[in-house]
Amino acid sequence: MLMYETFDHTADLGLRIKADDLPSLFADAAHALFDVIVDDLSLVQPQQVVDVNLQSDELVYLLFDWLNHLLFLFDAKGWLFSRFDVQVNESACRLQGKAWGERLDPSRHVLAHEVKAITYHGLRIEQKEGGWLAEVIVDI
Amino acid sequence: MSKEIFQGPLERVSDCCWRIPKTYKQGMRVDGLIYADEVLIEAIKRDQAPEQVANVAFLPGIQYASLAMPDIHWGYGFCIGGVCATDPDEGGVISPGGVGYDINCGVRLVRSNLFYRDVQPRLRQLVEELFRHIPTGVGKSGRYHFDKKELDRLMAEGPRALLDRDLATPRDLEYTEANGKLEGADPDAVSDQAKLRGESQCGTLGSGNHFLEVQVVDHIFDEQAARVMGLEKDMVCVMIHSGSRGLGYQVCDDALAMLRKAPEKYGISLPDRQLACAPVNSPEGQKYIAAMRAAANFAWCNRQLLMQQTREVFENVFGRPWQQLQMNLVYDVCHNIAKFEEHTFNGKTRKVWVHRKGATRAFPPNHPEIPQMYRQIGQPVLIPGDMGRASWVLVGQEGSMKQTFGTTCHGAGRAMSRTAAVKDVGKRRIDKELEARGVIARAQSRRGLAEEQPDAYKNVDEVVEVVHKANLSRKVARMRPIGVIKG
Repeated sequence: MLMYETFDHTADLGLRIKADDLPSLFADAAHALFDVIVDDLSLVQPQQVVDVNLQSDELVYLLFDWLNHLLFLFDAKGWLFSRFDVQVNESACRLQGKAWGERLDPSRHVLAHEVKAITYHGLRIEQKEGGWLAEVIVDI
Repeated sequence: MSKEIFQGPLERVSDCCWRIPKTYKQGMRVDGLIYADEVLIEAIKRDQAPEQVANVAFLPGIQYASLAMPDIHWGYGFCIGGVCATDPDEGGVISPGGVGYDINCGVRLVRSNLFYRDVQPRLRQLVEELFRHIPTGVGKSGRYHFDKKELDRLMAEGPRALLDRDLATPRDLEYTEANGKLEGADPDAVSDQAKLRGESQCGTLGSGNHFLEVQVVDHIFDEQAARVMGLEKDMVCVMIHSGSRGLGYQVCDDALAMLRKAPEKYGISLPDRQLACAPVNSPEGQKYIAAMRAAANFAWCNRQLLMQQTREVFENVFGRPWQQLQMNLVYDVCHNIAKFEEHTFNGKTRKVWVHRKGATRAFPPNHPEIPQMYRQIGQPVLIPGDMGRASWVLVGQEGSMKQTFGTTCHGAGRAMSRTAAVKDVGKRRIDKELEARGVIARAQSRRGLAEEQPDAYKNVDEVVEVVHKANLSRKVARMRPIGVIKG
């Protein structure tokens, strides 16, 4: 069961992610992104792993950069990911992530949406009682 | 963030225009002006688009008003359907959000000498061939390959660079806005990531609201203008809606990352991160402008190659060269762009940066930037509608220069979100429903068709009625879809 829901935005799509801790929040956000891109994400086999290391000025930008980097790997290199493992150093605003997946194979993977970009509009990340919440609007 | 009804002031200025006074929010430098009739304004108030019109009025150097066309809807930062002009001599800014991710997303219309009666018996075959031949949807590579040097040339020169491969003709260039080339484009200002995303995508349609439609001239409103454009009732045309693909998205994305700190650096206070901007006369502003122009030129190459592939399919299906089928480009317009243009307002003539985000240039008759052939009638304006009802051909009018920096609307505008549209469709088959209306539609996914179903859009006829009445552009022909391919 995915820890995210979509919310309405007239032209685009909003993703609201809730998680117990920051690493799960980042992993679930990435999962949500690929769930939007791929029709049936269960068909993407976690065969190969890609390492992602990032540092940003603010936590909200770190989330943005993480999703944006994964989107780039998809659009430029045809990567689809279905499993994520993320370590987040909140004070240093640094991330070490692993994304497992495979290259797009049109005979097995049906793509649902072209996500043009992760947007800054309404982008937020906050600590709530007992967990974390993030909202991201993606441009479709 | 969620959908909220706009509660701010909307004063009626005329039959077709509403004002958000600059007193609405502290920081607004000019009024907001929304072009709509009393029916459309009710729909517009239902989301945050008017709030975004007010937010754009915060931009330094903004002139006259933050403008919105009748097809506006909630975007990110800028509303879609927004227009703003900034003066660099008054600290004016350039804003990537005011152009959008899909730099030079636009529309082109190709005519033919075929009529509905000629095409109808072979329509299904034609649509199937188009769908097979033209790459659509996510993750599809194009048939054309350009090495790094060639890609740089496409960005520097636009479709002119395709002439020596016989993929474009001089006539095609003449009938493209700006002749398909924005001067000052610098491929070196475009990141390697953007080039990587773009190198295999030139000549691909993409997904979302992009489409290629076989259309029939359904009704002519202006015989003379239609004749000049070579359009007759029942004639078959092709309308292509696409942009700069991954290359343009990445250019916008790179610019927004570069501008994260610009508001502090230049002392600009903004109500939304996505409005990020920099003074035109700053290193950041200049870099974005050079890259944006390169992406715009790339987009024109993309639409040129989409047209060329369309011509090839028609050649195969109808057994004659495209030249014999007289498949001439009527015109190509962009509706996501920023351009440095001369305008006269408040009694002075100045050069300003006109941002058109989901808005189309609509220059009136005799404007020097219109092809000679169209000088008498005004610049052709192409308005794509939804896939079940109609699209429009208009011409620019004098009123656009007086009211909207030479601009009109760009489409129907969404009425439903994507999730609402899918929910609305339920188990219905949109392709079957369209077929019953005489439209053959092919798409990569059924969900894609559901999201783009006709009812997800406002009625484009109502949008066009407003810009016609407001004298921004005049109706020439209504186009009816008969074949659609989508990503």
